[in-house]
Formats: sequence, C-alpha cells, structure tokens
Amino acid sequence: MKKVRIKELVEKIEGEAELEFDFVDGVIDNVEINFGFYRGIEEILQGRDPMDALVITPRVCGICNHAHLIAAVTAIEDGYKNGGLEFELSNKAKYIREFTLSCELIQNHAKWFYITIIPQLEALLGVASGQNHPLKANYISTTITKALAIFAGQWPHSSYVVPGGVTCDPTYLEVVQADSLIDEVIRFFEQVVVGIDMQTYLGIDTYNQLNTLEGDFGRVLHLLRSSALATLGQSHDRFIVLGESSLAPRGKAVATTVSNVDLRYVAESEQKGSKAKAAHYKGKFYEVGPLSRAMLAKRGLIKSLHKRHKDSIFSRIFARIDEIALLLQRAKQILHLLSLDEPSCVLDMKKKPQNFSGSGAVEAARGSLLHRLVVEDSKIKNYDIITPTQWNLSCNSKEETGIAIKAMQGLKGTDEAKFVFRTFDVCSVCTTQ
Amino acid sequence: MGKKPKIIWLQSITCNANAHSFLNHPNLFSILSHFSLQYHPVLETSYGLKDLSELKVPCDILIIEGAIREEGWKKNDIEVAQMIRHYATRASYIITVGTCATFGGIFKQKDPKKISGFCFDNDKKTFRYDLYKEKLISLPGCPIHPEWLSYLLLMIQSKKKIPLDGMHRPRELYGYTVHNGCTRNEYFEWKVDTPGFGHKEGCLFYEQGCQAPYTHGSCNKILWNDVSSKTRIGTPCFGCTEPNFPKQNFFQTETNMGIPAQMPLGVPKRAYLMLAGVAKSFKIKRFSQTLLEYDE
Repeated sequence: MKKVRIKELVEKIEGEAELEFDFVDGVIDNVEINFGFYRGIEEILQGRDPMDALVITPRVCGICNHAHLIAAVTAIEDGYKNGGLEFELSNKAKYIREFTLSCELIQNHAKWFYITIIPQLEALLGVASGQNHPLKANYISTTITKALAIFAGQWPHSSYVVPGGVTCDPTYLEVVQADSLIDEVIRFFEQVVVGIDMQTYLGIDTYNQLNTLEGDFGRVLHLLRSSALATLGQSHDRFIVLGESSLAPRGKAVATTVSNVDLRYVAESEQKGSKAKAAHYKGKFYEVGPLSRAMLAKRGLIKSLHKRHKDSIFSRIFARIDEIALLLQRAKQILHLLSLDEPSCVLDMKKKPQNFSGSGAVEAARGSLLHRLVVEDSKIKNYDIITPTQWNLSCNSKEETGIAIKAMQGLKGTDEAKFVFRTFDVCSVCTTQ
Repeated sequence: MGKKPKIIWLQSITCNANAHSFLNHPNLFSILSHFSLQYHPVLETSYGLKDLSELKVPCDILIIEGAIREEGWKKNDIEVAQMIRHYATRASYIITVGTCATFGGIFKQKDPKKISGFCFDNDKKTFRYDLYKEKLISLPGCPIHPEWLSYLLLMIQSKKKIPLDGMHRPRELYGYTVHNGCTRNEYFEWKVDTPGFGHKEGCLFYEQGCQAPYTHGSCNKILWNDVSSKTRIGTPCFGCTEPNFPKQNFFQTETNMGIPAQMPLGVPKRAYLMLAGVAKSFKIKRFSQTLLEYDE
C-alpha cells in the first residue's frame, strides 16, 4: 500500500481553501478541507440592537449578501412572534422579497457557470473555446441585479427588508422596468445559454431530450457526458432543504425518499484544523443547494437525471443552471401577481418585543442558510449563522465522511478532484464567516 | 508604468463585495482592456495566488480590499500584511477599495486594537500613512460603487490629476453628501417625517436613522446598479463611506431634545434650528398627502 499526501490551494472561490489529499495506491482515500479566515461576524453582533443585524449580516458575503439579509429578518420576525407580537406580512412584501432573492440566485448561478465551471472544465479537458465567458456572466449579473436594485436600492449589501415587510413602495413604473429586465435575461438564457426558447426548455422532462439543448449549457452537458466526467462526484445521495420557497418544500430526502425536518435538530460542531464548523441534522451530513431543492421538489427532469447519474457532478451542475430557468419564470409570475395597493410594511418599529429568540431559514444560492438569535433587553445576546457551505464542505465526523470529501474519494487526480469540489459552488467567506 | 498599467487586486479581511460590485460594471471588460490584470480574486488572471505570495508579480496599481492586521492573517503561509507591504512599496498607486481597507470598517469590530484600515484607523492615520501618502487614494464605501473605481482607474490611465481631500478621497466622488440628489429632498426641506418604513413619502432623517445629510458620497448622483439608491427605496443611509462606520442602532436617529444629534455636513446647529422652526410652522397640505393611490 503506497500512501502519498498532496496539499493544494484552491483559489477564486470567494476566498481560498486548502485541500490536503491522501492518496492510497494512486486513488484519493481522504481529503482535509481547511478554511482559514475566521472574521467573527457573530461576535460583532453581540450587544447590538437586533435591527443592526440587517446591516451587519449581509457583510458576511459579497455574493450572497441578500440571502443573509432575508435570513436575518426572518429570524427577527420569528422572534417577534415568539415574543408575543402578532402580525401577518402583506403578499406584496412577501413577493418583493422573493423577487429580489430570486435575482440574487440568478446572479450567483450565472457567475458560477461562466466564471468557474466553463473555464475550469475547458482547462481540465483541454478544449479551450477562446471565448470571453466572464463577459456573459457580467451581462447577466449586471442586468439581473439592476432588477433587484429597483426594489432593494442596491446590490451588493442592501438592507431594504425590515421586520414586517420591506422599505420600498414601488409604482408600476418600477414594476414594468423590472419586468423588462427579466425579459432581457430570459432572452439571453434562450439565445446564449440553452439555444432554445424558454417554454420549450421548461417542457423538457426526460433525460434523452437534453440532446436538444444547444448554447453554452448544451455544450457543457455534452462535454461532461462524452468525457466520462458525468458520473464522478457522487456523495451520500442525501439532500436537505431548510428554507421555504416556491422552488421546493422544506424537507430532507435520502435518494428519492422524502421526509420532514425540524429546524431544532440542525446543529454545528467544531472541526480540527479548520476555522469552519460542520453543519449536520441529527448527526448526519446532507447536501444542500439547487440539486437538493430539485430533489425535494420532485422535479421530473431532475429525477430522470438522478436515476442515471445519482448525485454526481452532472446532476449538480445541471440542477444549478436549470434553476436559473425556474427562477426567471417565477420572477415573471411574481411581478404579475404584485398588488401595489397593499402595505409594504405592517409593523411599527417602536412596538417590538424586547426579549425573544427566533430562527430564520432561507434558500440561498448555495443552499439552506439559517440565522438564529437570542435577544435580551433589546440587545443581541447571541447570534448564530449556519451557511450552506458548512453542510457541503464539512470535514469528516467520527461517524461519517463529509459530503464533498465523499464526492472526491476514489478519484485519481487532484485536478479532477478540485473540479468536483468546485461543483458545490464553494464560498470561502460564508464557510468561516 | 508601461502602456497598460499592471493591476494587482489583493484581498485581506473582507467579504468580497467590492470585487463583486465592480464585476457589475456594465462596461467592465472595455475598462479592463486598458490595463493588465495581474491578479484578481474572482476573474481569471495571468498570475495566481501562489505567484502573488512569492512576491514576484509586477505591479503599478495596487488595489487593496479588506481590513488589515499586521499578524495573524495569512494566505499561502505568508502574512497578507507582508504581501501588501511588498507590492505597496513598488506600486505607483495604491487604492484602498471599501471602508474596511480605508478605515477598518465592519471587520475592524472583531478586534479593534489590532485591525484597521491600511493608512487610516477610523479617522486617525496609521503608521503606514507616511510611507505611502504620496500614492494613496481612498475609496471608502461598503461596498464601493463600480463607477467610482472605473473613474479612478481611467483617470490614472489617462494620466489626469485626481483632486483629493484630506483623507485622500477623490473630491469628484466624495465632495457631495449622499443627501444630494435624494428624491425625498422636498420632505427634508419642509421637515416632514416619513410615516414609517415602506412609504414613498417623507424624510428618513428625523427618526429612521438616515445619515445621508452628513455622509460623504455620491450614491444619489451616480445611482446604484444604474437605477436606485438606499434612500430612494426608503432605506436610511447608514453612513457606510465614513471613517466611523459601523455605528450602533442603524435604524434610529439619535436625537437631543427631539432634534437630530448630528447636523447636516457643515451646517451650524443655530442655522438648522432656525430654518427648521420656520419650515415646521407651516403645514403644507401636499406634503401630508400620499403621492398617489391605487384603487382597489
């Protein structure tokens, strides 16, 4: 038995990570994932007014800041309700929140696809297209965050969501402008990403029909399938969704068997050698993210894909780009449903409980994001953030192999392994906060 | 500097939002075509972090993102502060992007004695100031607006003189207050408060904590994502470009006897009180009404 240890730096993942690969007889046996940059956002929040979390927590992450904002407000609202305050958000506020969060997810997925996946895949397979892929990411991101900013004022780092609703009070001038921007991104998706029109794309429900896809997504799927990369990266085949959204119900799944979850069983534990904490549910690791959402939503096409490739990188990559289409369709629908005569915010900021504890889960780009806080005498006593990457990129526990580690086991080279690692859409800053 | 100035974008204690904000520049790649991007935390570049940490990457413009601590923040086994020192000494320009890199910002709060901005620690100069003041440009903001940085880079590239204030901020960007251009200005003039969050009408300065009248920045001149700003959509300005960001209680105005504790930039309290008194003595119907109603 020949053992070799190789240390590699993975960069441009919203920071960096260090991977230590243990090879046994030429195959990866184990990997240690180390994130070194603990910044202490949870500590910074202690002693502050709970509303300050709406400004501070988005600063956890430059790419998914909006999800942190919505998780923070959801946790505070949950706390208010636990503290005896009764209120019901207007549909208008709910829809606007869902719209802006959807825009952030689209922004993220487009950047991951065009800045990370395509260039890395081209490099791995030696099939450079010579195209400026980041330019496409820039176009989608710029256009979709403009739609977001119409309601949220700015991206990154908006704080427009407050307990009881949202601060904006849009007119149809804004709604029409946002709708037109969504149309623009749909047009780009049709012409450049998939090469077919949106309705035809959304009508695809079997694996074999994927051959009809063209565009950059069609090309990537073809490259994955023809290079035998498609089946790599399988993990525990366990999925969890903690947030409630139109994308998927809350729940967990082992392969295709779905069951309920209770947020109280979500816990974190320290990891040796890493500043990141591992997240688990009743001691077990689950994958979070677009693939988990699609599995919980029982999306026919993804189930068909999963039947063939399980939780491989093919399924993982597919689900994330597929989600762009679902989100764009939903964004159009939301704008249509918006009724502007409803109140934007139903709470008076002067009337709020002074002692409470609450938790809020949202579906962020990379998966379930959970914020929990305890407030005493109107000050934050404790604030706890559990990010999606803490689920996907945890090290091994005594009982189990981490999700991403299991996905890399058995591979023969570090380049291949690093590509598998990146299919989880790694975010270093979120992992360590 | 050669024909295409060489840029290194180096990150210290950060959330990456300045990098992502800049990636949202609509003309990003035409701007970058005037430069050689040596290292960037997101985009593909000719050098990697390994080269950067071996201190061998040529650099004309050093962009620093994130707060600084001298020890205890390593990348690839080298202190980031040491890397920054190396490139800062060699660069012709140093741009601190974001409030963390400029003044310390949010991430300073974790360990205020050891973490600061590069040349400023809140509004005090750090020991580095004298070493680098000749080439220092401050671009505070949490995060920066993409146009602020592109303006600066293109001014440098075309060898134009950039007027700076005492904290090395470009006057053309920070000579304004965020209040300048706010769509709620009429309500400020007549001292009409907003009825609460979620309204187009009313000013956020009196109760909601808006810091725009004394915050340096052009958020309501150069709109965010080309369309809006915090105050336009009813969120108070949090003063994120200022040396003392982040303050406490962002959504409440600190008051003394019902008067905002901090005055609009450069306005004497006496002048403010006199005008406010006059404005408040008139009840103007239009300002107490909603701008428009949607019928059921």
